[in-house]
Amino acid sequence: MEKIAKLRHKFLEFAGQSGYAPTIKHSGSGKRAVVVIIILLVLIAAASALYIYSRTYAKAFRLGVPMTPQAFDSILSRTIPHLYGMGAAAVVLAVVSLSFQTITQSRVLTPSMIGFDSVFVGTQTVLVFFFGAQHFLFADPFINYLITAGIMVVVSMLMFGAILRNHRNNIVFLLMFGLVLSGIVGSGTSYLQIIMNESDFFQVAAATAVNVNNMNVGIINLALPIMAAVVALTLWRHRRYNVMTLGPQQAKGLGVAYEKELKWNLILIAVGMSVATAMIGSLTFLGLLAVNAAREVLKTYKHLPLFIGSALMAALTLILGQSVMELLQGAIPVTAIINLVGCSYIFFLILKENRI
Amino acid sequence: MIEVRSVSQSYSRDKEILKEVDLVVREREITALVGANGAGKSTLLGVMTNLLPAKKGVVMLDGVDIRKIKTNEVAKKIAFLKQTQQLSIRITVKDLVEFGRFPHCGGRLRDEDREKVEEAIYYMKLEDLQESYLDEISGGQRQRAFIAMILAQDTPYIFLDEPLNNLDIKYSVEMMKIVTKLVEDLGKTIVVVLHDINFAAAYASHIVAMKDGQVIKEGSPKEVITPSVLNPVFDHDFHIVDHDGRSVCLYYDHE
Repeated sequence: MEKIAKLRHKFLEFAGQSGYAPTIKHSGSGKRAVVVIIILLVLIAAASALYIYSRTYAKAFRLGVPMTPQAFDSILSRTIPHLYGMGAAAVVLAVVSLSFQTITQSRVLTPSMIGFDSVFVGTQTVLVFFFGAQHFLFADPFINYLITAGIMVVVSMLMFGAILRNHRNNIVFLLMFGLVLSGIVGSGTSYLQIIMNESDFFQVAAATAVNVNNMNVGIINLALPIMAAVVALTLWRHRRYNVMTLGPQQAKGLGVAYEKELKWNLILIAVGMSVATAMIGSLTFLGLLAVNAAREVLKTYKHLPLFIGSALMAALTLILGQSVMELLQGAIPVTAIINLVGCSYIFFLILKENRI
Repeated sequence: MIEVRSVSQSYSRDKEILKEVDLVVREREITALVGANGAGKSTLLGVMTNLLPAKKGVVMLDGVDIRKIKTNEVAKKIAFLKQTQQLSIRITVKDLVEFGRFPHCGGRLRDEDREKVEEAIYYMKLEDLQESYLDEISGGQRQRAFIAMILAQDTPYIFLDEPLNNLDIKYSVEMMKIVTKLVEDLGKTIVVVLHDINFAAAYASHIVAMKDGQVIKEGSPKEVITPSVLNPVFDHDFHIVDHDGRSVCLYYDHE
């Protein structure tokens, strides 16, 4: 019995709950987080099973061939990395989206919206254009990734210097910057792609056309540790994010070195975004959707349950969406569904809160 | 001990907000900063709390340059409450007060932190409201909750930037009474920016009058609340009356 009580205490503490002299309202929110997280985990397990089923038995049934154990094993060995990849990318996107929303004090922003995706495509194009598709800078997935991540970190630092320090809370400015950045990088990229030779172009197209169906599983061994590090470092700061939601001044008054935190966060976000984009492509609205859904069901400001809830929510959305897509034989790409729902949701948020 | 030594501050090259300000904060007293809009009161408060690190000159906190002290250590000595409290999150009074312990425990509350939180809630008479959400209570109660937060922060120095903004008269008086009690009961040192000169005259023991980024005059209310000081500071004609030994400013234009 004592053990159970102890476990419960730990559980509540883990859910961002003090556990000390629990009041009705309080233990309610802690319990809620635990329940929500358990439900999400069960749903993710179910969605993963559905995904495996959709790629094995459903496909076999459709094609009218029997599902032999050998065939099943062989498909499974290709499906599992996909599951890992989707799960990991979704977790990273959700976590960096939440920390980005906290530092920008906005519920409708995600890092994708300020042009990180276009920087990824731009970097790949420039590498191929100047060095050729065979050059190791482009062809070696590790070195390629390091360069891409490095450039994204530099861009986000520039953003920090130019915007967040002087125009803090100026979200319009931030969005404008993202729009202009995407525009410049995008048109530069298409110019280079037009004048480069054909084989190089196909190489770039292959490298940048990664999406959920066409995942770059090759870098998964590099990506997973980096993703784990980004998530761990972000989660480790969860208490600081709580204070940062009070606003920059009050957070500083309470002893958070705000500028330093901002810098660290932008680095973490850039690294996380670069690795997720390189592996699974651009998923602009997944983070936004997951973070806000987590806020709605958890009804807390505490970042530990929010981080975990958002991450699970994102993984569930992506895996479930992908399973449905497989069952529908690719009639609708999952990114289209996510973008449709995400766009509608951002409209709803802007109209509801009447601000961006 | 907080000492401001010839501090200058500017946002752009040609506009100086503070010009060579020198000030020693009086311990265990209420110091009021008064002056017209744009006189540099809030900026001076920001510099003294290191929210805006001084560009020229130095602020010494217990003999050390405050810019060289870690943000976290500063927050153990100086509590700061900003002008308006608009929160983007929905939290309870108790959650807010618990934030006050952040500099001491990094958000991981220990038993002593919980004691301080309870003491602060008790001191501000918020026991019945501690589970209420901040958007459910009145402006005066909300202000009390924020004071409870900085009490839980347990610092010798408290800086308040226009705490009476958006408060009606009843709550403003209540607020200033609380501030007075903080000095009398708990021995806090308080620096407060006040817009209403009469509140400064009634509750502060030391008044610093500022204009155009400079300290024009500092002293007791009796010394500062005079037409010869206030007229140039506020660029307005003051009429001072004596009411039970207290100076009261009449600054309404009557023909």
